[in-house]
Amino acid sequence: MKKFIKRNSRELSIVIAIVIMGVAFGIKEPIYLSGDNMKDIFEQSIIYGLMALGMTAVIISGGIDLSVGSALALICVIISKAAVGGLSPFIAILLAFAISITLGLFNGILVSNLKLQPFIATLGTMSVYRGIAYLVSDGYPVLNVPSEYRKLINGDFLNIVDTSTILFIGFALFMYFIMTKLKLGTYIYAIGGNEEAARLSGIKISSVKVKIYAIAMIGTGIAAMIQVARLGTGDPTTGQGYELNAIAAIAIGGTSMAGGRGTIVGTLLGAILFAGLRNGLIVSNVATFWQYVATGVVIIIAAYIEVIQDNFAKIFKKKGSETQGITV
Amino acid sequence: MNNNDNYIRFENITKAFAGQRAVNDVSFGIRKGEIHAIMGENGAGKSTLLNLLHGVHQPSNGCIYIDGKMTKFHNIHDGIVAGICKIHQEINVVSELSVMQNLMLGSELSRYGFVKKKEMIKETNEILRRLKCNFSSMDKIGPLSAGHKQMIQIARALRTNAKIISFDEPTASLSNNEVDILFEIMRDLNNQGITILYISHKLDEVLKICDRATILRDGKYINTYEIKNTSKEELIKSMVGRDVSMFAKRTKPSRVRQDKTVLKVENLCGETFKNISFDLKQSEILGFFGLVGAQRTEVMRTIFGADKKFDGKIYRKNELINNKTPNEAIKNGIAFVSENRKEEGYIKEFSNSNNIALASLSKYMERGMVSRKLKNENSINQGSYVGLYPNDPEFYTNNLSGGNAQKVILAKWLSTDADIIILDEPTKGIDVGAKTEIYKLMEEILENGKSIILVSSELTEVMGMSDKIIVMNEGKMVGELDKSDFSEKDILSDALGGN
Repeated sequence: MKKFIKRNSRELSIVIAIVIMGVAFGIKEPIYLSGDNMKDIFEQSIIYGLMALGMTAVIISGGIDLSVGSALALICVIISKAAVGGLSPFIAILLAFAISITLGLFNGILVSNLKLQPFIATLGTMSVYRGIAYLVSDGYPVLNVPSEYRKLINGDFLNIVDTSTILFIGFALFMYFIMTKLKLGTYIYAIGGNEEAARLSGIKISSVKVKIYAIAMIGTGIAAMIQVARLGTGDPTTGQGYELNAIAAIAIGGTSMAGGRGTIVGTLLGAILFAGLRNGLIVSNVATFWQYVATGVVIIIAAYIEVIQDNFAKIFKKKGSETQGITV
Repeated sequence: MNNNDNYIRFENITKAFAGQRAVNDVSFGIRKGEIHAIMGENGAGKSTLLNLLHGVHQPSNGCIYIDGKMTKFHNIHDGIVAGICKIHQEINVVSELSVMQNLMLGSELSRYGFVKKKEMIKETNEILRRLKCNFSSMDKIGPLSAGHKQMIQIARALRTNAKIISFDEPTASLSNNEVDILFEIMRDLNNQGITILYISHKLDEVLKICDRATILRDGKYINTYEIKNTSKEELIKSMVGRDVSMFAKRTKPSRVRQDKTVLKVENLCGETFKNISFDLKQSEILGFFGLVGAQRTEVMRTIFGADKKFDGKIYRKNELINNKTPNEAIKNGIAFVSENRKEEGYIKEFSNSNNIALASLSKYMERGMVSRKLKNENSINQGSYVGLYPNDPEFYTNNLSGGNAQKVILAKWLSTDADIIILDEPTKGIDVGAKTEIYKLMEEILENGKSIILVSSELTEVMGMSDKIIVMNEGKMVGELDKSDFSEKDILSDALGGN
C-alpha cells in the first residue's frame, strides 16, 4: 500500500485535486455534482483528452506536437466529405485512422530523418495541415454529414455507454498498454530521459520517433471522428488552440515537458480535471474572461506543484526511491 | 601553531550527506601565499572540503576561519565577495559569446543599462596581458582550446580581486603544453600574493608546483607534508594507506586462447585517428593506453558503430562486419561501457531493473509484453553477480554511488549476449573498494570465455590487468607490448610520442 502511494503520488494528488474541486463547485452550485453534469464534464474532456493521450508519448520522448489542432480540422473535413459523398461510415472511419497515421508519420519523419526540432517541425505542419483543410473544403464547413455515420459514433453501446466514451477509454488503454507493456514504451521513456544513452544501448532512435508521432496522431484521428459525429459538420476552422489545451492537460497530469517522465493515467486525470474546471466555472457563472485567467492559474499551480514535489523529493531522498519516470 | 600557518583554518570540519560523512572532523591550516595541494583518492572528501570553503555547502559541524575571522558563507557568491574564487574542473564558458563577454558575464560595466564596451575591452585586455594570453578580447570562445577557456575562468577570478583561488583538477582536459603555461600562471599569481589551493590526482604535478600537500583519506585528515621534505612514495602511501600495486592485479592465471581471434581490426580510420589494427583473442584483456587526446575512445566508438567509420575492416570470428549503428554492434556481440556514466551510460529516470534491461529488452517478453517479473529477476541475478549494493530492482540508478552506477551499467551489458566487452575508463571516479570489485569482475568475465578491451588512462590499471597493451598517441598506434615486455617507462614514453 505504502509503495502504491509512493509510486502513484502524482496521480493520487490529481485525484485529490479533482475531489476538492468537485466539493468546492458542488457547494456553490449543487447542480455541478449531478449525474448529467458529471457526464457532460466527461464528454467535454474527450476531444482534447484523446489528443493529450497521444501527445503524452511524444512529450515523454522529449518532443512536442503542435499540429494536432490543425490535424483535427483536416481529418474532420476529409471524413465529412467522404461521408457526405456517400462513402460507407465504416470506410470513413478507416479513412480517419489512415489519414491520422499519415499526418503523424510526416511529423515523425521531419523530426527523426530531417532532424528538425519538434517544436519547429510541428509548428510548420500545424500551418500546412490547416491550409490543406481549407483547400479541401474551399474554406466552408462541410455540412449535413449523414445520420448513419453520426449514429455509429454518437450512439450508445447496448444502451449503456456512449460509443465516444468507449473510444476514449479504449484509446487510453491502448496508450497505457504501449507505454507500460511494450518494448516501445520503455524505449520512449529511455529516449526522453537520455537520448545518447538510449542510442548506445542499441535503441533505433529514428524508427522509435517516427512510430511515436504516428501513434500519437491516432488519438487526434479518433477525436475527429467524434467531433464530426457530434456536430454533423466538418469545419476547417475547428481545433484552433486545442493543442494548447492538450498540453495543459498533460502538464496538469504531471508529465515533464523536458521528457523522460510522465504517465498515461496522469494525463487522463489531467484532462478530466481540466474539463471539470472549465465546466465548473461556466456552471457557477464566472465571466468568460475570468475563466481564461482561472484556467491559466491552475496550469501554473500544477507546474509549481511539480517543482516543489521535486524539491521535497530531494530533501527527503534518504532511500533514493522517489517516484520518477517509468515504474513498470 | 603560529598564526602565519593559519591564514585559512579548518577547525573540526564535518560534512554529512544523508548520514554519510564525506568530510569527517578535519582540522588543518593553510599559509598565506602558498600553493597548497589537497590530495586523496576519489571520494576522499577533497571536493567536498573545497565546496565548504567556497560556501557551496555549509559544514554540518566545525568552523572555517580566514585571516582569523570566522566565515559563514551561504552560497558561492558570498565566497566570491570575500575574495575566494574557484576554477572548476569542467570548463564552463558560453561558447557563442566573445572572450570579453564571457569575462564580464554577470558583472558587465554599464551606464543607464547600456554596456560600456570600450572600457570593458580595455579591462579585458589588461587582464589577458597579466595572464600572458595570446588571444584577443573579441575572439569567439567556441574555437579556443581547453587551456584558453580555462584562462578565461582564471581571468574571471582575477577580476573579482580574489585573494584565494582554488583549482579542482585543472589539468584534466589540458595538453602538456597548456599545463606548463597554467603552472607558470599559478606561480605568477602566487608571487602576486594570492593563496592557491590545488586539488589533483597527479602526483608529479603536485611535486612540481606545490609548497605543501595535505592528504585526506575516507573523509579524514591524514597529514600535511612539506613538498621539499617528502617523496612520491610517501605521498602515495599515505593516500591509499596500503600498497598501490595491490589493486589492479590479476588473481588468476591468464588463459588467453591465442588460437581463437574474436575480433580483428584492420587499418581502421575515423575522423580523428588512422590505421588502427589489432587482434583480440578469446579470454584476453587488451589494454589501450594513451594520454588525453590519444583518441582511444573514438576508436572504440567507431568499432561500436556510434561514430562514423571512414575506412578499414572489422572481422568478428573471421566474418566481415560493418556496424553502422550501436544496434548492429550489439547484435554482433559487442558491448560498450562508456566513460561518461551519467551522459551515456544510464537513464536517470530509470530504476536499476529498467536500466539493466535496456539493451536486452527482448529477453524479458512474455506473450508479446515486457514482463516486470522477468526484468526484476534478471536485475537481481545480474546485480548479485556484479556485487551491486543495494541490489534493489526498484532503486533509482541515479541515486547510487559512482561505483554502483558503474556496476548497473556492467550488468546491463552482461545481460546482453555480448562476448566482446569494451570498457572505457571503467574505474574513473570510483572509490578504491569498488575499483577492486570491478577488477575482480573483469576476471570473471574472462572465465566465461568473453574478451575485454580495456581503455584506461591509469597506467597501473592497464599494466595490472591487461594481457597485451596497445599504446596510442594523437590518433595513431605507437606501441604494442606483450605482458612480458610491460614497462612503465616504455609505455609512458610511447604514449608521450617519444621513441
